Amino acid sequence: MPIVTFEDVSRVYTSGDHSLRALDHVNMNLDQGKFIVILGPSGAGKSTLLNLLGGLDSPTEGRILVEGKDIASLSADRLAEYRAATVGFVFQFYNLIPTLTVKENVALVKEIAPDPLDPEEILAQVGLSDHLNNFPSELSGGEQQRVSIARALAKNPKILLCDEPTGALDSETGVVVLKLLLSMARSYGKTIVIVTHNQSIAKMADVVIRVRSGRIQSCEVLENPLSAEEVEW
Amino acid sequence: MLLKKLWRTIGLYKAQFISMVIMIALGVGIFLGFNMEWVSIDVNTDYFYSATGYADYRIIRESGFSENDLKDVENIHGVDAVSRYVCVNADVKERDGDALALSVTENGKVSGMLVTEGAAYDKSSLNGLWLSDKYASANAISVGDELTLTYQNMEFSGTVAGLIKASEHMICVRDESQLMPDYDTFGYAYISPAFYEDVTGFQYYPMLHVRSDMDKKDFTAAVDDALGETAMILTKDETLSYAEAAGEAKEGKTMGSVLPVLFLLIAVLTMVTTMHRLTAREKTQIGTLKALGFKDRRITRHYTSYALMIGLMGTAVGIALGYAIAWFIMNPNGMMGTYLDLPEWRLPIPWFCWVIMGAILALLTAIGFLSVRQMLRGTAADALRPYTPKKMKPLLLERTPLWRVFGFGPRWNLRDIMRHKARSLMSLIGTLGCTLLILGSMGMRDTMDSFLALYYDEATNYTTRINLSEDASKDAIEELITKYNGDASGTVGVQLGDKAVSLEIYDTPHDMVRFPAEDNSFSALADDGAYLCLRLGEELALSPGDRIEISPYGSDETYTLRVAGLIRSVSESIVITSAYADSLGIDYRFSSIYTDTGRADIASDASIASTQSKQMIIDSFDAFIQIMDAMIYLLVVAAIVLGVVVLYNLGVMSYTERYRELATLKVVGFKDRKIGRLLIGQNLWISFAGLLLGIPAGVWVLDYLLKALAGEYEMKMAIYPGSFVISILLTVGMSLLVSLMVARRNKRIDMVEALKGAE
Repeated sequence: MPIVTFEDVSRVYTSGDHSLRALDHVNMNLDQGKFIVILGPSGAGKSTLLNLLGGLDSPTEGRILVEGKDIASLSADRLAEYRAATVGFVFQFYNLIPTLTVKENVALVKEIAPDPLDPEEILAQVGLSDHLNNFPSELSGGEQQRVSIARALAKNPKILLCDEPTGALDSETGVVVLKLLLSMARSYGKTIVIVTHNQSIAKMADVVIRVRSGRIQSCEVLENPLSAEEVEW
Repeated sequence: MLLKKLWRTIGLYKAQFISMVIMIALGVGIFLGFNMEWVSIDVNTDYFYSATGYADYRIIRESGFSENDLKDVENIHGVDAVSRYVCVNADVKERDGDALALSVTENGKVSGMLVTEGAAYDKSSLNGLWLSDKYASANAISVGDELTLTYQNMEFSGTVAGLIKASEHMICVRDESQLMPDYDTFGYAYISPAFYEDVTGFQYYPMLHVRSDMDKKDFTAAVDDALGETAMILTKDETLSYAEAAGEAKEGKTMGSVLPVLFLLIAVLTMVTTMHRLTAREKTQIGTLKALGFKDRRITRHYTSYALMIGLMGTAVGIALGYAIAWFIMNPNGMMGTYLDLPEWRLPIPWFCWVIMGAILALLTAIGFLSVRQMLRGTAADALRPYTPKKMKPLLLERTPLWRVFGFGPRWNLRDIMRHKARSLMSLIGTLGCTLLILGSMGMRDTMDSFLALYYDEATNYTTRINLSEDASKDAIEELITKYNGDASGTVGVQLGDKAVSLEIYDTPHDMVRFPAEDNSFSALADDGAYLCLRLGEELALSPGDRIEISPYGSDETYTLRVAGLIRSVSESIVITSAYADSLGIDYRFSSIYTDTGRADIASDASIASTQSKQMIIDSFDAFIQIMDAMIYLLVVAAIVLGVVVLYNLGVMSYTERYRELATLKVVGFKDRKIGRLLIGQNLWISFAGLLLGIPAGVWVLDYLLKALAGEYEMKMAIYPGSFVISILLTVGMSLLVSLMVARRNKRIDMVEALKGAE
């Protein structure tokens, strides 16, 4: 049973006379509880895919069904509710609120999520119990990304969406963060979608979707995904 | 190429650009307008005084001066010109109730006139009348018309030979009880000495008008010596037209040096913050230019010229605005035009305004320069890195239990306020200034209003004031007082130290006139002491129990008076009861009777010169209030505009700086409305703080203004509850409006775009 279905989804950006077809009639299914990697070079349309799925953007054509409900036609407020309840985001550049402490950055989601998890518990699980009252600027990149992961999970979403989550980290830290991300997602039973151009990450996935020029090039199910330690970085 | 970029940069930050131009324009405009107003009073009256030979000194002798006396004074070293002079109020026979101040000056160079229409002044004309052009136009009289004038038992006719303006009658009022000119019923005219002597059959000139630069002490000594007696001498400061116009200018100067300066200060401060922010946001561009190989000097010049351009545009618009404001108050048909009768209404920009404008331009350019320099510091790679605000540190407040009560919104907002201190402080100053200016301005009006209410509703209890003829006999006056069951007063000009003040003697068995004490309470006048107006009390440091010595003009007597109390008064005066005057033996005669009889029921009588209803006196104050009102409305509107511009500008800045944070909140799932509430919340908190500080500050500034204006008015500060409410509502409303305008933008946050790239 797919948790996400893209039906003939296109996204065209127009500015002036120019129009850019970022996604071109995409059809795909994402299964619940899987670790899905969307792979592709810059400009292939993979971030657009993620943004549409995350409710940050709406398609020009087609339907996006999440748990059977079309999110393509939702109003701005309903989309906000969808983002608050169903998806959690992890960004390349963390996007933490600089004026809130680590704990507050995570606790923030209690304001909007219908069924949030305990922020301190999650932060303990990502290993930041000692930094609860620090501000983001006082943390390393890896630590900031862990806060970001905790924030995404604290909403208790169905789907975790990650846009180049290790892109801004050195490879050693990247591996640690990735491992954490996966183990957390697995232990909470989340569907996790990672967008990256890093081939190595793809080796760990259950499903690898390759995107090129706005189209799905291939969809590969890996029988035996490697663990983070097994992957050559 | 860089010039092209300059224009595009302006386009990119047009909200900031426009608001900076408006702020500078507003600051400069208000400052300029208010200062041009009083400077133009000075300049235009000075021109008028010198063009018509306004007398510096008036020597007065009831029995009149002879030609020999004239020569004696003329011969004093230091005296430029002297003229024998007489001025009486003559009734216009053709117009019932109308009167003219009829003047005769022997020497046209002293206390003379400017002819605006008709024939030049001819000192040998035997039937020519040179009539006030304002009275002529108010009554449709033109050159060639005939007027018959009556004075005492004389009646004579003349032909209007010319229309004139004369500085001696610049503020043309019947007597000191009439505050505003009313050209419908009262004007002035000159006739030649030849005509005057022909009509009266004698030479009677009770005044010598003198033009001289000597100081009063030297002049008095020289005149006493020349005339062989202690002469009664009035300086021009003691004449109504000069004193009132100078007072108006001084009042304008005081107003101009407080509230408009605040405007200017707020404008410049906001400008500084905005300019710094703007360059901070351009930092990556500055870095790019540097990385491309542009020299620091070139980049600096580029951004400095941006600041200079804002300054130039703002100042140019400000000058136009200043002219508009000054013209609004100072034009022949405007408010000041109803008060002063001036031949010229030039609006010069005072030199210090040029200096201030130059300083502002220099400051703005310097700010632009310093901000860019800060961004250019270090290597090209350093410059390329985006500007980062200071790192966040925990607030002191976080250690208190109160912090735990706060939800995410207040915490976010509080930390943001502390993180961007300059921006928050400017918002605070913006709302504080807005509240202060509104409350101060409205309080000024309230104070005036409550003073007038006190004066007219409580101090003035009569229905009609009867002005007695100068030749009314004592018996006739007594008869009138009894007939109309009235109270009476008379005035004696006296010398107090080296000041000429009026000693007002009242007989008020019916309490038709009462006198407010310093705390605005009323009590009956004691018969064993004198009451000084507050200004005199303060100026001479006198308090109850002290003794003063006065000497009436025209007599060698001196009297010692005990100070019984201080009172609020519209004019600089000493008030005593007639019983006290009698016990001291002061010679006086009543000149006014106050009665409850209606004006229409007062029969005409040879001893009555004119009658005024209380309403007429109140109405004459109205135009006066209008000038004050106009300034106040101007200030209130400007305060609101300033508030809107400052807050909007800072709001947009804050919004832009937090764009990424707002986008993150949106991505996490916050609805637009909730984000909007957060933004509005912050603004409202700052506004609330601004209000809390602005209200006492407004009261303080008003108190300061009233003290500075104490020489003009003796008013007790009053701020009506309604003014507090209006100030609060206007400030909060303004802040809310601006917040909504800014918050509306968050619907347009592009989450995808905002979250790209590193912080």
